[in-house]
Amino acid sequence: MKRLAFSLCAAVLCTAVPAAAAAETVTVALNADIRSTNPGVNRDDNTDAVILHVVEGLVGYRENGTVAPLLAESVSTAADGLTYTFKLRRGVTFHNGAEMTSADVLWSWNRYMDPKTDWRCRPEFDGRQGLRVTGVAAPDPYTFSMTLEKPSALFLDTLARTDCAMTAVLHRDSVRPDGSWDRPVGTGPFRLGEWRRGEYVTLRRFDAYVSPPGERRDGYVGAKRPLVQEVKFVTIADAATVKAGLLSGALDIADIPDDDIPELSKSRAIEVKTAPTATKHAFLFQTRDPLLGNVKLRQAIAAALDLPQLVGHVSNGLGRPNGSAVYVTSAYHDEAHRRGYTHDPARARALLAEAGYRGETIRLIANKRSSVPSYPAAVVAQAMLQAAGIRAEIEVLEWATQLDRYTKGNFQMMSFTYSARLDPAQSYNQFFGPKDRFPSKVWDNPKAQELIEKASLVADEAERRAIFGELHRLMLADAPLVFLYNAVDTTAVARRVRGYAPWVASKPRLWEVSVGD
Amino acid sequence: MLRFALTRIAMALPTLFIVAVSVFVLIRLIPGDPAALMLGDLADPASLADLRRRLGLDHSLPVQFAIWFGNVLAGDLGLSITSGQPVLPLIVGRFWVSAQIVLVAVLFASLVAVPAGMVAAWRQNSLADIALVGAATLLLSVPTFWLGLLLLLFFGLELEWLPVVGYVSIAEDATRGLLYLVMPVMTLFLHEIGVVMRMARASTLEVLRLDYITHARAKGLPEAAVLWRHAFKNAFGPTWTLIGLVLGNLLGGIAVVETVFTIPGLGRLLVDSIFARDYPVIQGCLLFVAFTYVVVNLIVDLFYPVFDPRVTAE
Repeated sequence: MKRLAFSLCAAVLCTAVPAAAAAETVTVALNADIRSTNPGVNRDDNTDAVILHVVEGLVGYRENGTVAPLLAESVSTAADGLTYTFKLRRGVTFHNGAEMTSADVLWSWNRYMDPKTDWRCRPEFDGRQGLRVTGVAAPDPYTFSMTLEKPSALFLDTLARTDCAMTAVLHRDSVRPDGSWDRPVGTGPFRLGEWRRGEYVTLRRFDAYVSPPGERRDGYVGAKRPLVQEVKFVTIADAATVKAGLLSGALDIADIPDDDIPELSKSRAIEVKTAPTATKHAFLFQTRDPLLGNVKLRQAIAAALDLPQLVGHVSNGLGRPNGSAVYVTSAYHDEAHRRGYTHDPARARALLAEAGYRGETIRLIANKRSSVPSYPAAVVAQAMLQAAGIRAEIEVLEWATQLDRYTKGNFQMMSFTYSARLDPAQSYNQFFGPKDRFPSKVWDNPKAQELIEKASLVADEAERRAIFGELHRLMLADAPLVFLYNAVDTTAVARRVRGYAPWVASKPRLWEVSVGD
Repeated sequence: MLRFALTRIAMALPTLFIVAVSVFVLIRLIPGDPAALMLGDLADPASLADLRRRLGLDHSLPVQFAIWFGNVLAGDLGLSITSGQPVLPLIVGRFWVSAQIVLVAVLFASLVAVPAGMVAAWRQNSLADIALVGAATLLLSVPTFWLGLLLLLFFGLELEWLPVVGYVSIAEDATRGLLYLVMPVMTLFLHEIGVVMRMARASTLEVLRLDYITHARAKGLPEAAVLWRHAFKNAFGPTWTLIGLVLGNLLGGIAVVETVFTIPGLGRLLVDSIFARDYPVIQGCLLFVAFTYVVVNLIVDLFYPVFDPRVTAE
């Protein structure tokens, strides 16, 4: 019997985690499986996070949200601001060994702009969103140029966007002879290994990877050496299982709920790292609602909210109030954006009187997804509004239902989270726009329209800074929404893993990461 | 026997049609748009309309139903909206993962619970009966997710005997595959043992009160013979029916257990599809579950005469 038990335990220990493989593998938890391996097509945040280890674009984001060359060596703009010339880095190879040239960039671009590809970002470049690429050319193997219909300060930023998969340059072996998608043959530091749907996706180190210049990792640019043999992204939906996986050593890296920080911090094998991201939590108002159409009432609500207290509570003390659409660590987050609404119950009451508020109930929509503070923020806000004499009722909806209501503009007030946008103009575009055409937009103001259009055209940083400052002032006056804070990425990292750090784009980066004992 | 089986299958067809219509209509009554979920917070009306058109969601509901049902009759459950995979192979692949857990758990639960229930009935009101009934009630009352997490903490974290994250198919690696299945099977086993034991006890108690049992004992038959030869066969019928219902239920999805143990089974597929409003997968899963339920219960009915000769399959 004893012998049997010993044999069983030995079998368990030998087979549960193959030690040699584990040493060269970093295991990362994902809360849901990726949707596809087709960059920027059938995608979500997890898909982007994984696939941006495999593919790269001409330009990418730096740590501070600005854009820098990645597969390009340099980017120059013509005097008229219409033509961008990308000089390509030499010696960059695809995962199939072929050298990357401008012919590949041209092929990739043409594939993206083919409606059959269903690239998510085609509307961003075909004029539907204002920006139109009128011509592309590959005059020599290491030069690629793109011409715009009119100047745009957002062009490079849009190319670099993660939801556009960085407008990745792919080798034509990525598609089958009939043009259908096969697998990504890119230039990234890792190549796609195995994808078991619903279980895991593995990436293998690309030994011939040529890192962009730079001493250290800088967002999606800078040093990008793949140091571990394999990265394994495991799909785990349940937070309790993630915690067990971290504590058992089966997982190396995982985003964790704030509530788990104290317990996981006690483990000697785990380190908890945090970083503010560009994701924005906010309360949205429907400015066409008979009640909330009154700006005085919206301002009263803003004055009734004690944001430092609210943010401190819902973020477990990790978040820092930010009333601006520009995220806290952005190069554009200056003094102008530190101004926000202040908690002033007396002013709230005065504004309510001016608004003619008679105790009508405001319905505040929230959801209970564990990854966002929608519901706890709504609960705290409800109490604060009640203290100021405003009746608010929380309506809890499942996420798909809430998104449907958001898309149709069918709400009074909503506790909502906007995904990360690194350029301030892109961030304003998430909630600003003509309501007749885009019911989901919460802010529609002609003066702001002018400023956003200007910010999309002007490249000069100082001028843009002034525009965003003015936009913020206008937004505070109109109060179409109240920004609470930027989400904080909370990641538990096994101490054997070295060099890992969360960052503003809220996506894992496994290059320049190694494992020790 | 064959005629009985064919009749039962024919009788199930209207049920499956009603399931198909109900699922199709009900899932579309829930607010939420798969296209909006795919595009996220930057979806503009033009892109939404474009995607809806490509997904075939711009047709009227009757047209959508006619297209889908026509394909179902041809054996094609369509393509997943989110992954683009054919739905039927997706469901079948996930079903076998769930089925191996469920079948093993229910088999072991039955092997333990039926004798335990009979012993409890045989020794009614004794300490053994109280202990067994108490244990059954406790196991029944414990939610599976909590039980699963306890097992995970104990065997995975404390003892470090079993892997806590991931899944390996038995077909791929039998030893490792078994290790990954131990805790999910144990969770279901412990939960279902309570359900089956209570039924086995109740039906055995009922049979033990009948005159023919008293007669058998009066003849001087040993208790073991009375219990096994006379009581068990008659008492097992209702328990067997219950086992069929339990199997049908569990094969339809053990989403909670699969979520806790990261098992890529049918239940998780269904839950994920509901959150993503992946209509073809939801419809396919529920139709498949209804079909499984019908088949399992048919098999149970066909085996019934083996235990109770009074019942025939004619």
